[in-house]
Amino acid sequence: MTADAFIFWFLSLVAVTSGLSVVMMANPIYSALSLAMTMVSLAALFATLGAYFIAGVQVIVYAGAVMVLFVIVLMLFDLREETKAFTRGQVSGALKIAMIGFLAGLIVMVMAQGVKFLAAPDVVDAAKLPEDSSKALGLVLFNRHIFGFEALGVLLLVVAVGTVALARSKGGTHAKH
Amino acid sequence: MPSTDVINQIGLSHYLVLSAALFTMGFLGVLMRRNVLVMMMCIELMLNAVNLTFIAFSKFSGRIDGQIMVFFVMTIAAAEAAVGLAIIVSIFKRYREVNIRFFEHLKG
Amino acid sequence: MNHSLLMAILLLSPFVGFLINGARYRKNGPNLAGWLATTAIAISFICSILLVADLIGMPAESRRIAVSFFDWIVIDKLKVAAGFVVDPISAIMILVITGVGTLIHMFSIGYMHHDKGVAKYFAYLNLFVFNMLILVLGDSLLTMFVGWEGVGLCSYLLIGFWFTDKDKAAAGMKAFITNRIGDAAFLLGMFILFMTYGTLNFFDLNQLAPTVPEASWLGAATLGTLMLFIGATGKSAQIPLYVWLPDAMAGPTPVSALIHAATMVTAGVYMIVRLNAMFIAAPNTLMIIAVIGAATAVMAASIGMTQWDIKKVLAYSTVSQLGYMFLAAGVGAFGVAMFHLMTHAFFKALMFLGSGSVIHAMHEEQDIRKMGALKKYMPITHITFFFGWLAIIGMPPFAGFFSKDEILWKAMTSPLGHPLLWAAGVLGAVMTAFYMTRLMALTFWGKSRVPKEVHPHESPALMTIPLIVLGLLSIVGGWLGINHAISSILPGHPANVLEHWLGPVLREPSLDGVHHSVTMEWALMGVSVGLAALSAFVAYHFYVRSPETPKKIAESLGPVYRLISKKYLVDELYFGVIINPLIAFSKNLWHHVDVQVIDKTTYLLADLMKGGGSVVRTLQTGNMQQYAMYIGLGLVAVLSFVLMR
Repeated sequence: MTADAFIFWFLSLVAVTSGLSVVMMANPIYSALSLAMTMVSLAALFATLGAYFIAGVQVIVYAGAVMVLFVIVLMLFDLREETKAFTRGQVSGALKIAMIGFLAGLIVMVMAQGVKFLAAPDVVDAAKLPEDSSKALGLVLFNRHIFGFEALGVLLLVVAVGTVALARSKGGTHAKH
Repeated sequence: MPSTDVINQIGLSHYLVLSAALFTMGFLGVLMRRNVLVMMMCIELMLNAVNLTFIAFSKFSGRIDGQIMVFFVMTIAAAEAAVGLAIIVSIFKRYREVNIRFFEHLKG
Repeated sequence: MNHSLLMAILLLSPFVGFLINGARYRKNGPNLAGWLATTAIAISFICSILLVADLIGMPAESRRIAVSFFDWIVIDKLKVAAGFVVDPISAIMILVITGVGTLIHMFSIGYMHHDKGVAKYFAYLNLFVFNMLILVLGDSLLTMFVGWEGVGLCSYLLIGFWFTDKDKAAAGMKAFITNRIGDAAFLLGMFILFMTYGTLNFFDLNQLAPTVPEASWLGAATLGTLMLFIGATGKSAQIPLYVWLPDAMAGPTPVSALIHAATMVTAGVYMIVRLNAMFIAAPNTLMIIAVIGAATAVMAASIGMTQWDIKKVLAYSTVSQLGYMFLAAGVGAFGVAMFHLMTHAFFKALMFLGSGSVIHAMHEEQDIRKMGALKKYMPITHITFFFGWLAIIGMPPFAGFFSKDEILWKAMTSPLGHPLLWAAGVLGAVMTAFYMTRLMALTFWGKSRVPKEVHPHESPALMTIPLIVLGLLSIVGGWLGINHAISSILPGHPANVLEHWLGPVLREPSLDGVHHSVTMEWALMGVSVGLAALSAFVAYHFYVRSPETPKKIAESLGPVYRLISKKYLVDELYFGVIINPLIAFSKNLWHHVDVQVIDKTTYLLADLMKGGGSVVRTLQTGNMQQYAMYIGLGLVAVLSFVLMR
């Protein structure tokens, strides 16, 4: 087994395991920590794929900021005991699991079909992707996608204002006085 | 060839399968968990799975645009998490409840 | 002054008046609204005078002021501009419309003073004048049609002005629907002419028409002009579509004077004169026009002899006089038709306003059996009405004499004329003299039959001044068209000013080769005037000296009299043959097709939707996770489809 292959298998094992525990853990705080774990492992995978900048952002934004947000909210709610992790209904649960399994199979099959359309899917075209991908990313982002970037800035501003407004309202949009 | 050396020869298909697995796990969580917060986390999981495909395609087709898309998705995801959590907090403040079955006011 | 500007003011001034009074129809009082409207028309009148003065200054062959404001419709071959033209024909019309219109507006201020909706009334009246001006000034059939429909609308609104009275509302409806029939034919005529000649412009049509020979006895020109004429019978109340005009007297009396005597009802005559070369190219149509005109003149006059409502008598008189105009147009004497149109506008507007004055004085009483001897109470109304009476029965030297006599002369001598048409015209003139004398006698002369509680009084100056002006016009109006015979003994007076004025723009059938002596002209004139005078004398004798005689004659005539007094049962005929079967047919459609088929189908569809909705509604549980599952199922379906393909 080569080192590259080992790293992939190891990281994917960690990601799948911690992803499963996000779904399965009864206690939300464990779910949150597992999600952080998944994100870190995915960040490492991004790094192996040459997306160093994205990997860094993934750690900072997702595993850092977003997860901290989740944990703080959990702390605010003070949910000591989560007796049941899943919603009621065995029939609908079985139906959902069956559907998910079916969906997983379908997604894989469709992806397998889609891969054929790439010229040489499994060969890394190292020449095409520049070594310092962060610089290339920056150049593309601020040239070709500058409009999207600016729009995102506006979106974030709106979100910041909206969140503050939501937080100030006392319970729901139809506040009781 | 991939068929002969699945273990050592890590190709695009591996990443895609991994991301499909993460995506479906996230979807399952969204469908089945009671806790709204955990549902949100599962949505984040699904988004991450999609990000992985973008990065993988970017790598294997040699084009940087996939990473741009990931960048955008991340920003949106962060915004979505912020707003979603704010809504959940304000609902919780009023009803002291995070069970998804409690919020069934969208009946036809 | 700039012609475009003058034309714009001429057209828009009544419209502005309409907008102001219309927008403030609850607030403007009678004086404000009335003077506003009158001023608006007076401004138009001044513009008309200025334009016509410029027109007179031009050389006779090129008298035309054309203004095109913008391109209205440009579709392939169809090019219609918002173009307006003042030429000798429309010059007469705009002077009559705005001049007589101003007087009638002024009269209305007094007449409508106590009405609640007075501002609305003046708004409608101004809108009418605006549309009428578009009708006469428009340089193409389509522009004319805009005004044509507009005046129809205003006529409807004003006939049904007191719409709380069901009969009056119904009269408005009748006028509107009858006019629709004519308008449909008018549209068809336009289509035919456009298809054949590729233009709707009057001047192009008049130029093209003589160059295209008729293919058969019912070629495009004949058919098109015939359709236009059917449109004219609707608007100008000729057989068979005249039935609406007598009912239209339900409107306020000044409206009857302006719309249903002086201006709107003459639109059909104007249209034919406007397209004179076109109609000359279709001799068959002209023959039909002449016959229908003569028949209408006689028939309406005979009905007029039996009516008791002062306005109904005048209404039938109007129909009859319009018949004369069509008779003139039908024998190719377009200039004379315009001449009679003008003199008729003067004396008939005068008589309607006079009758309005009488009705006003009698407190809304219109039955002439309850009048009589009003001469001493209303001297001014009487004397002006007297002039109008002399004018309409054709006594020289009043206005009606010259125009009517000229019509009869042309009916006899024109290449398109016929002695029978002349005879019908004389018969109509005799009857006209009879019923008009009867009206005068019963209203103003003889013994008073006024109920004791009514105290007639002379109308205020606001109402008598227009009467006086119109009375003067009824005297001198005819002097514009003095015929050869008389002008030959009047040294210094030019013969037939109006004919010289209109001559260059009309293509009338040539009188060369047809030689008639002056002696014959005198003879015919003497016959018609003498017979009319005799008839007037007989009527005077009947209704003033021995009021019993008419009753005896009526009794001795029996069924004939009853038939005539019931207006030849034409309304009943229309109801029996057209309207009632149509209603019955429509009721059948309603009960069987609409209720049974269409309604049931739509109800079925609605029930299906409702049932389907209540089934699908159960999917909408409010459970968010279930919704997410639907998304997942959708994804499964799409992906399966992608893979199966």
